[in-house]
Amino acid sequence: MDVSSWDGSLSSSDFSLAARTFAEKWKRLNHTFPPWSWVACTKQPWVASHEVEGYLSLENICLFSLTEEDHDEGSREGEEETGCSKEEEPIDTATLVQSIGREVHFYDFHIVFSASYRVPVLYFRAYCSGGQPLALDEIEKDLPACSSKVLLASKWTFITLEEHPYLNRPWYKLHPCGTSEWVKLLFLGDSALAKYGVARRQYLVSWFSVVGQVVGLRIPFQMLNDSN
Amino acid sequence: MATESASSARKVVVHFRATGGAPILKQAKFKISGTDKFAKVIDFLCRHLGRETLFVYVNSAFSPNPDELVIDLYNNFGFDGKLVVNYACSMAWG
Repeated sequence: MDVSSWDGSLSSSDFSLAARTFAEKWKRLNHTFPPWSWVACTKQPWVASHEVEGYLSLENICLFSLTEEDHDEGSREGEEETGCSKEEEPIDTATLVQSIGREVHFYDFHIVFSASYRVPVLYFRAYCSGGQPLALDEIEKDLPACSSKVLLASKWTFITLEEHPYLNRPWYKLHPCGTSEWVKLLFLGDSALAKYGVARRQYLVSWFSVVGQVVGLRIPFQMLNDSN
Repeated sequence: MATESASSARKVVVHFRATGGAPILKQAKFKISGTDKFAKVIDFLCRHLGRETLFVYVNSAFSPNPDELVIDLYNNFGFDGKLVVNYACSMAWG
Protein backbone atom coordinates (compact mmCIF):
# COMPACT_ATOMS: atom_id res chain seq x y z
CA MET A 1 0.00 0.00 0.00
CA ASP A 2 1.31 3.44 -0.91
CA VAL A 3 1.36 6.04 1.82
CA SER A 4 -0.40 8.64 -0.36
CA SER A 5 -3.68 6.76 -0.11
CA TRP A 6 -3.28 6.17 3.61
CA ASP A 7 -5.44 8.16 6.02
CA GLY A 8 -2.93 8.10 8.89
CA SER A 9 -4.85 5.59 10.99
CA LEU A 10 -3.82 2.16 12.28
CA SER A 11 -5.51 -1.16 12.84
CA SER A 12 -5.42 -2.70 16.28
CA SER A 13 -2.87 -5.33 15.22
CA ASP A 14 -0.69 -2.66 13.58
CA PHE A 15 -0.80 -0.80 16.85
CA SER A 16 0.56 -3.82 18.72
CA LEU A 17 3.36 -4.13 16.16
CA ALA A 18 4.20 -0.40 16.28
CA ALA A 19 4.07 -0.47 20.08
CA ARG A 20 6.60 -3.27 20.28
CA THR A 21 8.95 -1.52 17.84
CA PHE A 22 8.64 1.71 19.80
CA ALA A 23 9.25 0.03 23.18
CA GLU A 24 12.24 -1.88 21.83
CA LYS A 25 13.85 1.25 20.34
CA TRP A 26 13.15 3.24 23.50
CA LYS A 27 14.81 0.59 25.64
CA ARG A 28 17.83 0.40 23.34
CA LEU A 29 18.33 4.09 22.62
CA ASN A 30 16.72 6.15 25.37
CA HIS A 31 18.54 5.67 28.65
CA THR A 32 17.09 8.78 30.27
CA PHE A 33 13.89 6.96 31.14
CA PRO A 34 12.92 3.46 32.21
CA PRO A 35 11.52 1.22 29.46
CA TRP A 36 7.87 1.13 28.41
CA SER A 37 6.15 -2.11 29.21
CA TRP A 38 3.35 -3.79 27.28
CA VAL A 39 0.33 -4.55 29.44
CA ALA A 40 -1.82 -7.26 27.90
CA CYS A 41 -5.51 -6.93 28.61
CA THR A 42 -8.48 -9.20 28.50
CA LYS A 43 -10.63 -8.52 25.52
CA GLN A 44 -13.54 -6.19 26.03
CA PRO A 45 -16.68 -8.33 25.67
CA TRP A 46 -18.30 -6.11 23.03
CA VAL A 47 -15.30 -6.08 20.69
CA ALA A 48 -15.53 -8.88 18.17
CA SER A 49 -11.85 -9.48 17.53
CA HIS A 50 -9.41 -12.31 17.96
CA GLU A 51 -6.46 -10.06 18.58
CA VAL A 52 -4.74 -9.69 21.92
CA GLU A 53 -5.30 -6.21 23.26
CA GLY A 54 -3.04 -4.17 25.41
CA TYR A 55 -1.38 -0.85 25.99
CA LEU A 56 2.07 0.58 26.63
CA SER A 57 2.84 1.79 30.11
CA LEU A 58 5.56 4.06 31.56
CA GLU A 59 4.94 4.70 35.24
CA ASN A 60 6.38 6.56 38.23
CA ILE A 61 8.15 9.09 36.07
CA CYS A 62 9.46 11.77 38.35
CA LEU A 63 9.02 15.30 37.05
CA PHE A 64 10.20 18.31 38.97
CA SER A 65 8.40 21.55 38.45
CA LEU A 66 10.79 23.02 35.94
CA THR A 67 10.03 26.68 36.19
CA GLU A 68 13.47 28.25 36.27
CA GLU A 69 12.23 31.43 34.62
CA ASP A 70 9.31 31.83 36.99
CA HIS A 71 11.22 31.24 40.18
CA ASP A 72 14.03 33.55 41.06
CA GLU A 73 16.85 32.63 43.40
CA GLY A 74 14.95 33.98 46.38
CA SER A 75 12.26 31.32 46.12
CA ARG A 76 14.80 28.52 46.30
CA GLU A 77 14.98 28.64 50.04
CA GLY A 78 11.64 26.82 50.12
CA GLU A 79 13.21 23.94 48.26
CA GLU A 80 13.79 20.72 50.18
CA GLU A 81 15.23 17.40 49.12
CA THR A 82 11.87 15.70 48.77
CA GLY A 83 9.44 17.51 50.98
CA CYS A 84 8.42 14.19 52.57
CA SER A 85 10.04 14.82 55.92
CA LYS A 86 8.12 18.05 56.28
CA GLU A 87 4.78 16.36 56.39
CA GLU A 88 4.75 15.70 60.11
CA GLU A 89 5.99 19.10 61.09
CA PRO A 90 3.62 21.95 61.64
CA ILE A 91 3.82 24.09 58.52
CA ASP A 92 2.61 27.62 58.12
CA THR A 93 0.65 28.21 54.93
CA ALA A 94 3.20 30.56 53.39
CA THR A 95 5.83 27.80 53.38
CA LEU A 96 3.33 25.29 52.08
CA VAL A 97 2.43 27.38 49.06
CA GLN A 98 6.07 27.71 48.16
CA SER A 99 6.82 24.01 48.50
CA ILE A 100 3.95 23.03 46.20
CA GLY A 101 5.71 24.67 43.25
CA ARG A 102 8.93 22.73 43.85
CA GLU A 103 7.54 19.39 44.93
CA VAL A 104 8.34 16.19 43.11
CA HIS A 105 5.47 15.01 40.96
CA PHE A 106 5.09 11.54 39.56
CA TYR A 107 3.52 10.79 36.23
CA ASP A 108 2.07 7.61 34.78
CA PHE A 109 1.75 7.46 31.00
CA HIS A 110 -0.24 4.93 29.00
CA ILE A 111 -0.43 4.67 25.23
CA VAL A 112 -3.79 3.13 24.42
CA PHE A 113 -5.24 2.29 21.02
CA SER A 114 -8.51 4.07 20.28
CA ALA A 115 -10.79 1.75 18.33
CA SER A 116 -13.03 4.61 17.22
CA TYR A 117 -10.30 6.97 15.95
CA ARG A 118 -7.96 4.09 15.03
CA VAL A 119 -4.94 5.97 16.42
CA PRO A 120 -2.82 5.74 19.59
CA VAL A 121 -3.98 7.96 22.46
CA LEU A 122 -1.90 9.18 25.38
CA TYR A 123 -3.51 8.80 28.80
CA PHE A 124 -1.77 10.10 31.88
CA ARG A 125 -2.21 10.85 35.54
CA ALA A 126 -0.07 12.70 38.04
CA TYR A 127 0.36 12.49 41.77
CA CYS A 128 2.52 13.83 44.60
CA SER A 129 5.03 11.73 46.51
CA GLY A 130 2.32 11.11 49.10
CA GLY A 131 0.00 9.69 46.45
CA GLN A 132 -2.49 12.55 46.25
CA PRO A 133 -3.66 12.95 42.64
CA LEU A 134 -2.94 16.24 40.91
CA ALA A 135 -5.66 18.27 39.26
CA LEU A 136 -5.21 19.71 35.79
CA ASP A 137 -4.35 23.21 37.07
CA GLU A 138 -1.47 21.68 39.05
CA ILE A 139 -0.37 19.52 36.11
CA GLU A 140 -0.42 22.58 33.89
CA LYS A 141 2.45 24.07 35.90
CA ASP A 142 4.61 21.05 35.02
CA LEU A 143 3.81 21.21 31.30
CA PRO A 144 6.03 23.04 28.80
CA ALA A 145 5.01 26.63 28.03
CA CYS A 146 3.64 25.75 24.60
CA SER A 147 1.22 23.25 26.16
CA SER A 148 -0.17 25.79 28.60
CA LYS A 149 -0.81 28.05 25.61
CA VAL A 150 -2.75 25.34 23.76
CA LEU A 151 -4.58 24.44 26.95
CA LEU A 152 -5.84 28.00 27.16
CA ALA A 153 -6.86 28.15 23.49
CA SER A 154 -8.43 24.69 23.16
CA LYS A 155 -9.75 23.87 26.60
CA TRP A 156 -12.05 21.01 25.58
CA THR A 157 -10.17 19.54 22.65
CA PHE A 158 -6.68 19.14 24.12
CA ILE A 159 -6.47 17.54 27.56
CA THR A 160 -9.60 16.29 29.27
CA LEU A 161 -10.36 13.99 32.18
CA GLU A 162 -11.88 10.75 30.90
CA GLU A 163 -12.35 7.17 31.85
CA HIS A 164 -9.32 5.00 31.17
CA PRO A 165 -10.62 2.35 28.73
CA TYR A 166 -8.99 -0.57 30.58
CA LEU A 167 -8.70 0.65 34.16
CA ASN A 168 -12.10 2.39 34.28
CA ARG A 169 -10.70 5.19 36.39
CA PRO A 170 -10.44 8.87 35.52
CA TRP A 171 -7.23 9.64 33.64
CA TYR A 172 -6.22 12.67 31.60
CA LYS A 173 -6.33 12.10 27.88
CA LEU A 174 -4.85 13.91 24.90
CA HIS A 175 -7.56 14.35 22.33
CA PRO A 176 -7.07 12.11 19.30
CA CYS A 177 -9.40 13.81 16.79
CA GLY A 178 -6.58 15.51 14.84
CA THR A 179 -4.03 12.70 15.15
CA SER A 180 -4.50 10.81 11.88
CA GLU A 181 -4.38 14.12 10.02
CA TRP A 182 -0.95 15.17 11.29
CA VAL A 183 0.46 11.64 11.25
CA LYS A 184 -0.38 11.48 7.56
CA LEU A 185 1.41 14.80 7.00
CA LEU A 186 4.51 13.50 8.82
CA PHE A 187 4.84 10.52 6.51
CA LEU A 188 3.79 12.11 3.22
CA GLY A 189 6.92 14.17 2.64
CA ASP A 190 9.45 11.43 3.09
CA SER A 191 10.03 9.11 0.18
CA ALA A 192 12.10 6.72 2.33
CA LEU A 193 9.09 6.27 4.56
CA ALA A 194 6.54 6.29 1.76
CA LYS A 195 5.84 2.63 2.15
CA TYR A 196 3.02 1.74 4.43
CA GLY A 197 5.02 -1.07 6.02
CA VAL A 198 7.74 1.34 7.15
CA ALA A 199 5.23 3.95 8.29
CA ARG A 200 3.48 1.30 10.32
CA ARG A 201 6.63 0.28 12.20
CA GLN A 202 7.86 3.84 12.68
CA TYR A 203 4.35 5.08 13.53
CA LEU A 204 4.64 5.37 17.31
CA VAL A 205 8.09 6.93 17.20
CA SER A 206 6.84 9.70 14.90
CA TRP A 207 3.61 10.02 16.85
CA PHE A 208 5.50 10.36 20.13
CA SER A 209 7.73 13.11 18.72
CA VAL A 210 4.58 15.27 18.71
CA VAL A 211 2.76 13.88 21.74
CA GLY A 212 5.86 13.77 23.95
CA GLN A 213 6.30 17.53 23.47
CA VAL A 214 2.97 18.14 25.17
CA VAL A 215 4.11 16.49 28.39
CA GLY A 216 7.80 17.39 28.09
CA LEU A 217 9.15 13.95 27.13
CA ARG A 218 11.84 14.22 24.48
CA ILE A 219 12.63 11.51 21.99
CA PRO A 220 16.35 11.00 21.24
CA PHE A 221 17.56 11.55 17.67
CA GLN A 222 18.88 8.01 17.49
CA MET A 223 15.34 6.68 17.77
CA LEU A 224 14.29 8.79 14.80
CA ASN A 225 17.43 8.12 12.80
CA ASP A 226 17.46 4.44 13.40
CA SER A 227 16.15 2.61 10.37
CA ASN A 228 16.45 -0.87 11.82
CA MET B 1 38.58 19.32 11.00
CA ALA B 2 36.22 21.88 12.44
CA THR B 3 36.13 22.08 16.20
CA GLU B 4 32.91 21.65 18.13
CA SER B 5 32.53 25.36 18.78
CA ALA B 6 33.26 26.30 15.18
CA SER B 7 30.65 23.94 13.85
CA SER B 8 27.95 25.10 16.26
CA ALA B 9 28.59 28.74 15.36
CA ARG B 10 27.95 27.88 11.73
CA LYS B 11 24.88 29.10 9.91
CA VAL B 12 22.46 26.49 8.72
CA VAL B 13 20.43 26.79 5.53
CA VAL B 14 16.83 26.01 6.34
CA HIS B 15 14.57 25.20 3.43
CA PHE B 16 10.90 25.76 4.24
CA ARG B 17 8.38 23.62 2.43
CA ALA B 18 4.63 24.20 2.62
CA THR B 19 2.47 21.10 2.87
CA GLY B 20 -1.20 20.39 3.36
CA GLY B 21 -2.29 23.54 1.51
CA ALA B 22 -0.29 25.97 3.68
CA PRO B 23 0.65 29.31 2.06
CA ILE B 24 4.04 29.32 0.31
CA LEU B 25 6.74 31.76 1.41
CA LYS B 26 8.15 34.11 -1.25
CA GLN B 27 11.61 33.17 -0.11
CA ALA B 28 11.96 29.53 0.85
CA LYS B 29 15.57 29.36 2.03
CA PHE B 30 16.94 31.18 5.05
CA LYS B 31 20.23 31.11 6.90
CA ILE B 32 19.72 30.54 10.60
CA SER B 33 22.37 30.38 13.29
CA GLY B 34 23.14 26.81 14.34
CA THR B 35 23.11 27.79 17.99
CA ASP B 36 19.46 28.88 17.78
CA LYS B 37 16.80 26.64 19.17
CA PHE B 38 14.19 25.14 16.87
CA ALA B 39 11.62 27.29 18.73
CA LYS B 40 13.10 30.28 16.88
CA VAL B 41 12.47 28.60 13.53
CA ILE B 42 8.83 27.99 14.52
CA ASP B 43 8.41 31.61 15.69
CA PHE B 44 10.00 32.88 12.51
CA LEU B 45 7.58 30.86 10.37
CA CYS B 46 4.53 31.85 12.41
CA ARG B 47 5.50 35.53 12.15
CA HIS B 48 6.07 35.35 8.40
CA LEU B 49 2.78 33.59 7.79
CA GLY B 50 0.85 35.63 10.35
CA ARG B 51 -0.38 32.56 12.21
CA GLU B 52 -0.58 31.73 15.88
CA THR B 53 0.24 28.06 15.42
CA LEU B 54 1.69 25.83 12.74
CA PHE B 55 2.42 22.16 12.54
CA VAL B 56 6.18 22.06 11.86
CA TYR B 57 8.12 18.89 11.12
CA VAL B 58 11.26 17.64 9.42
CA ASN B 59 11.90 14.97 6.90
CA SER B 60 12.47 11.90 8.98
CA ALA B 61 8.78 12.02 9.87
CA PHE B 62 8.94 13.75 13.21
CA SER B 63 8.25 17.07 14.84
CA PRO B 64 11.38 18.38 16.62
CA ASN B 65 11.17 19.53 20.20
CA PRO B 66 11.34 23.37 20.28
CA ASP B 67 14.37 23.09 22.58
CA GLU B 68 16.51 21.20 20.04
CA LEU B 69 19.36 23.17 18.52
CA VAL B 70 19.21 23.89 14.79
CA ILE B 71 22.77 22.61 14.31
CA ASP B 72 21.93 19.28 15.95
CA LEU B 73 18.93 18.85 13.68
CA TYR B 74 21.05 19.73 10.67
CA ASN B 75 23.81 17.31 11.64
CA ASN B 76 21.35 14.47 12.11
CA PHE B 77 18.69 15.14 9.51
CA GLY B 78 20.11 17.65 7.04
CA PHE B 79 21.16 16.70 3.54
CA ASP B 80 22.44 18.50 0.42
CA GLY B 81 23.72 21.24 2.73
CA LYS B 82 20.33 22.16 4.12
CA LEU B 83 17.69 21.26 6.66
CA VAL B 84 14.25 20.83 5.09
CA VAL B 85 11.50 22.05 7.40
CA ASN B 86 7.91 21.29 6.43
CA TYR B 87 4.98 23.27 7.74
CA ALA B 88 1.23 22.89 7.59
CA CYS B 89 -1.62 24.94 8.97
CA SER B 90 -3.40 22.02 10.55
CA MET B 91 -3.55 22.06 14.32
CA ALA B 92 -2.30 19.08 16.25
CA TRP B 93 -4.85 19.64 18.98
CA GLY B 94 -8.33 21.10 18.87
